[in-house]
Amino acid sequence: MSVEPGGILPSQKARVVDSLQRLLGRDHVLYQPEDLMLYEYDGLSTHGTPDAVVFPLSTEDVVEIVRLAARERIPIVARGAGTGLSGGAVAAVGGIVVGFSRMNKILAIDLENQRARVQPGVVNADLSLAVAAEGYYYAPDPSSQKACTLGGNVAENSGGPHTLAYGVTTNHVLGLEVVLPDASVVHTGGSCWDRPGYDLTGLMVGSEGTLGIVTEITVRLCRKPEMVQTLLAVFDSVADATRTVAAITARGITPSALEMMDGFTLRAVEEATHAGYPMDSAAVLLIEVEGIEEAATEDAAQIEAVCGENLAREVRRARTSAERELLWRGRKNAFGALGRISPSYYVQDGVIPRTRLPEMMEFIASMESKYGLRIGNIFHAGDGNLHPLLMYDSRNPEQSRRVVQAAGEIITRCVELGGSITGEHGVGLEKNELMPVLFSENDLAMMRTIKSVFNPDGMLNPGKVLPTGKMCGELRVSAGAGGPGDERR
Amino acid sequence: MTNAAEVWLAGLASTMGGQQVTAEPSTCAALATGGIAPHCVAYPTTPESVAAALRFASESGLAVIPCRNATKLPIGNPPRRYDIALSVKELNQVWRYEPNDLTVSVEPGMKLGDFQHFLARHQLWIPLDPPGGDRASLGGIVAANASGPYRARYGAPRDMVLGLSIATTEGKIIKTGGRVVKNVAGYDLTKLFVGSFGTLGVIVDINLKLFPAPACRSTWAFHAAALNGTQMFRRKLLRSPLNPLRAVLMDEGGRRLAGAPWSQGSDTFDIWIEFGGSERVIRRSIAAAIELARSVGLEPREIADDEARPGWQRITECNPPPNASGSHEVLLKAALPIDGVEEFLAHARSETGRARVPLACFAQLGTGIVRVFLLPEPPFENLFTLVERLRGAVVGKGGSLVVERWPIEMGPGVDSWGPMGDDFRVMRELKNVWDPHGALSPGRYVGGL
Ligand SMILES: Cc1cc2nc3c(=O)[nH]c(=O)nc-3n(C[C@H](O)[C@H](O)[C@H](O)COP(=O)(O)OP(=O)(O)OC[C@H]3O[C@@H](n4cnc5c(N)ncnc54)[C@H](O)[C@@H]3O)c2cc1C
Repeated sequence: MSVEPGGILPSQKARVVDSLQRLLGRDHVLYQPEDLMLYEYDGLSTHGTPDAVVFPLSTEDVVEIVRLAARERIPIVARGAGTGLSGGAVAAVGGIVVGFSRMNKILAIDLENQRARVQPGVVNADLSLAVAAEGYYYAPDPSSQKACTLGGNVAENSGGPHTLAYGVTTNHVLGLEVVLPDASVVHTGGSCWDRPGYDLTGLMVGSEGTLGIVTEITVRLCRKPEMVQTLLAVFDSVADATRTVAAITARGITPSALEMMDGFTLRAVEEATHAGYPMDSAAVLLIEVEGIEEAATEDAAQIEAVCGENLAREVRRARTSAERELLWRGRKNAFGALGRISPSYYVQDGVIPRTRLPEMMEFIASMESKYGLRIGNIFHAGDGNLHPLLMYDSRNPEQSRRVVQAAGEIITRCVELGGSITGEHGVGLEKNELMPVLFSENDLAMMRTIKSVFNPDGMLNPGKVLPTGKMCGELRVSAGAGGPGDERR
Repeated sequence: MTNAAEVWLAGLASTMGGQQVTAEPSTCAALATGGIAPHCVAYPTTPESVAAALRFASESGLAVIPCRNATKLPIGNPPRRYDIALSVKELNQVWRYEPNDLTVSVEPGMKLGDFQHFLARHQLWIPLDPPGGDRASLGGIVAANASGPYRARYGAPRDMVLGLSIATTEGKIIKTGGRVVKNVAGYDLTKLFVGSFGTLGVIVDINLKLFPAPACRSTWAFHAAALNGTQMFRRKLLRSPLNPLRAVLMDEGGRRLAGAPWSQGSDTFDIWIEFGGSERVIRRSIAAAIELARSVGLEPREIADDEARPGWQRITECNPPPNASGSHEVLLKAALPIDGVEEFLAHARSETGRARVPLACFAQLGTGIVRVFLLPEPPFENLFTLVERLRGAVVGKGGSLVVERWPIEMGPGVDSWGPMGDDFRVMRELKNVWDPHGALSPGRYVGGL
C-alpha cells in the first residue's frame, strides 16, 4: 500500500471519541492513556498504542464503527482475547481497536445438523463446553482455548494438539458474516457444504483481520469418540523420540494428537503443574488415539510397540480421565510454566516435514550453543509444527539481538527443509518481512492484489501479513517491557 | 476455419514452442461443451507452456477451457466463447512422493485410478470417490472440489490440498500454500482455486496430503420400507460412535442404477454402508450397526465383496445409465442440511412423480449431499420447471442445487449454479483480478463469470 495510514490526529480525536460514545455508550469506548495500555500488546512483545478501544454489541455496531473510521480515515484493528503470538491484534500505527468481548453469544446450536452459529467473541472452550453434555465438541483446540476467541481462531486459522487428525480451523468453518472496510456486510459460505462460487470463507480464514471483520461464524461440531487412549512415551534421547514420530505415521496410524516435549521444558512443566512427568528424561511424546473401543485399543497397542522399537524407556497409559487431564494440563500450561523460569521467551512456529524432525532438533540444539541461549521445545510433533521457545531477558538488548538471530536461522532452516515459517500462529507484524523467504515476488504480488480487492486503502489492520519493505528479511521482536507470550497479562 | 483462426492457431503453436496443438475436428468435437466445440486442442507438456498459452490467449482475446478427460466438462453453463481446449493430459507425473510424511506433489493430468494404484504400494490412498471415478483427473477433481460419499469421514479436496502451482493469464506461475500439512503463511489462495472450475487460472501442480488405506472393508445394506425408518436409523448412526468409510441412502431408482442384486419393491429404500479398518473394528462396527438398524425396523444384509466394489463404483461415478429406453439424463447435486435429506427425497419423489419423470437418488449420510438423476423422455417441456422447483426447495433450506449434467439435446437448461448471495460482488472482483480479459471459461461459472 502506498499510503501508510496513521492513527487519529489530535484535532480529530475529540470528535471521533464523541461519535463512538454516542454510538456505543460511554462505557464501551476507552480512550484515556491508562485504559489503552491494556490493549497495547498481544502475546508478542511488540507493542502499538491504539487511539481508542471500542466494544460493539452487534454487527450493526461494527458497521457503524467501520463507517465512521472510513469517513475519518482511521485504521481499524479487530481484537479477540489478545492471545495471538504474532502481533496480529496490535494497533501497529494506532487507530481504533475493535474488541469483541461483548459479542460473545452462541447464537444457535443444531446438533442434528452438527452446526453452531456464534459471535466472534465466544471463547473457544466455551463452545465445546456448551455441547459437551450431548456428546459433541468443537475440534480445533489451541492450547490457549480457555482464553482465545473463535474470531481470533478464524483470523489466525488456529490449530491445536488435536488438529493432527481433525484438521485446523479452516476445516471446521463453513460460513462467515463479514464487515468489509467499506462498511458493507457480506455472507460467505453457509451452513451446508459446497455453496457454488469462490470459497471466500476459505480465503477469509487465516487472513489475520486484514480482509474483513468477522461478525458471525458458522462451525461444524464433532461427535466425541467412544474411547480415548492417552499415552506418555518417555525417552532417554531426543533423537529416539523424533524418530518415533515418523515411525508411528509409517505404521499407518493417525493419532488424534502427537505432542513432544524436551527434557528442559518437561522439568519446568513438572515443577509448575505436577503432572507426573519423569524429571530425568530427555524427551516425552504425549500421544492420543481414539475411536471406537477396538480401534483405540489396537492403535494404542501398536504405538506402544513402535515406541519400544525406538527405544522408549517407558510407555505409560492414562488409566483414568483424571490422569489424562493431568497429562494434558501439563502440556497446555507449558508456555506459562516456562514463563516462570525466564523473564521472557520468544515462541516460534516453523513447520517441517515430520521425517526431518531428528535433524531439525539437532539444528536447534546447535543454535543454543552458537548463540548461548536456552531453547525449550514443546510442539505438535505429528504435524511437524515446531515451537522452539527461546529464553531471554527482554531488558537485555544484546540477548534480544541474539534471540532474533537464532530465531531467524531456525525459520530459514525450516523453509530449506521444505516447510513453512508459520504453522498456526500467523504472520502478523512479526514475520511479514520474512514472507519473501517462502514466496516469490509473483506469489506476493498476487496476495497484494487480493488484499486490495477487500481492503484497498489498507485501513484494516495495517502493517500485517505482507512485507512492508521497511525491514529486510527480519523478525520483528522488540525488546520492550514485559515478555512475549506472557498470557497472564 | 476462418483466416483469423488460422493466424492465431499458428501464433499459439509457436508460443507453446511447437508443442502439440491440433485443430482436428473429431478431437475438438470430443471436448465440446454446451453444444460448442473448441477450434483447437492444445497439449502443453510443461507448466511454463501452459502459462505461455494462457497469456497468449488472454492477450489475443481468446477463450480457454482447461480440461483432461472431460468428466467435469458437462458442469457449468454453456461458454460465451470457446476457442482453445487446454488439455493437461501430458502433465501427469508424480513428484516429491514422501510416503513417510504422507505428502506428494502430482501433476493435474494424473488420473485418480492411476494415482490410487501408485499409492497402494505403500498402503496409502487419497480418500476421494468423486463423479467420474478412476477416470477423473486430479486437476479436474481439485478444480471442481469434487467429492463423493467418503466426504463425511475424510473431507473434500479442499481439506487435502496443501498447496498448488497455478499458471495465470499473465503467463506467470504462482505457488499457493506449501508442502507441509500445517501452514498459515499469507492468504490461503489455495482455497480460492479449489472449486473455482478453472475460471481463475490453470492448476499445474498439486501438493496433497495422503492417508493410510484401511486394512479391510466390508459393505452392508440396510433395507427400509419407508423414509421415516431411514431417518431414524441415520440419526442414530450419526449420534453413535461408529465412523464408517461411507454411507449412502438410495431409493429404488438408485438401487437399480447401483445394480443391487435384488429387488424389494418400489417404494422402499436402502442404505449402503462401507466399514473399514482392522477385522476386529469392522466386526464390532457391523454388529453395532445391525443392532441400530433392527431397533428401528431396518433389515440388514451383507453385500459380497464382488458385488460391493462395482456397486460403489456405480453409486459414486455418476455415469449416464445404460440408455435402453431412449431416455435422457439430468444429474443434479443438492447440498442440504445433514438432517434434511429424507424430506428432500420425499419432496423430489412427489415432484417427479407428478411430472412423470423417473428418478434415482443417492443421498450421502453425514454431509447432506444428494445426487439426483432425472431420466426424462421427450418432450422435455416441464423439466425446466421441475428442476427450478427442486432448487427452490433446497435453497429454501439454506442449501444449493447444481446441475451437473444437462444433455444439450434437451435445449437450453436451467442455470447450472443457482442464485448468488451478497458476496457475489467480491467474487466478480476476484475474477477480474485473475482473468481481466475473460480468457478462462467465460460464462461458465456462477453468475455468468
Ligand atoms: C499460551 C498460548 C498458547 C497458544 N497455543 C496455541 C495453539 O496451540 N495453537 C494455535 O494455533 N495458537 C495458539 N496460540 C496463539 C493464539 O491463542 C491464537 O492465535 C488465537 O487464535 C488468538 O485468538 P485471540 O482471540 O486471542 O485473538 P487476538 O490475539 O485478539 O487476535 C488475533 C488476530 O485475529 C484478528 N481478529 C480477532 N477477532 C477478529 C474478528 N472478529 N474479525 C477479524 N479479525 C479478528 C486480530 O486482528 C488479530 O489479527 C497460543 C497463545 C498462547 C498465549
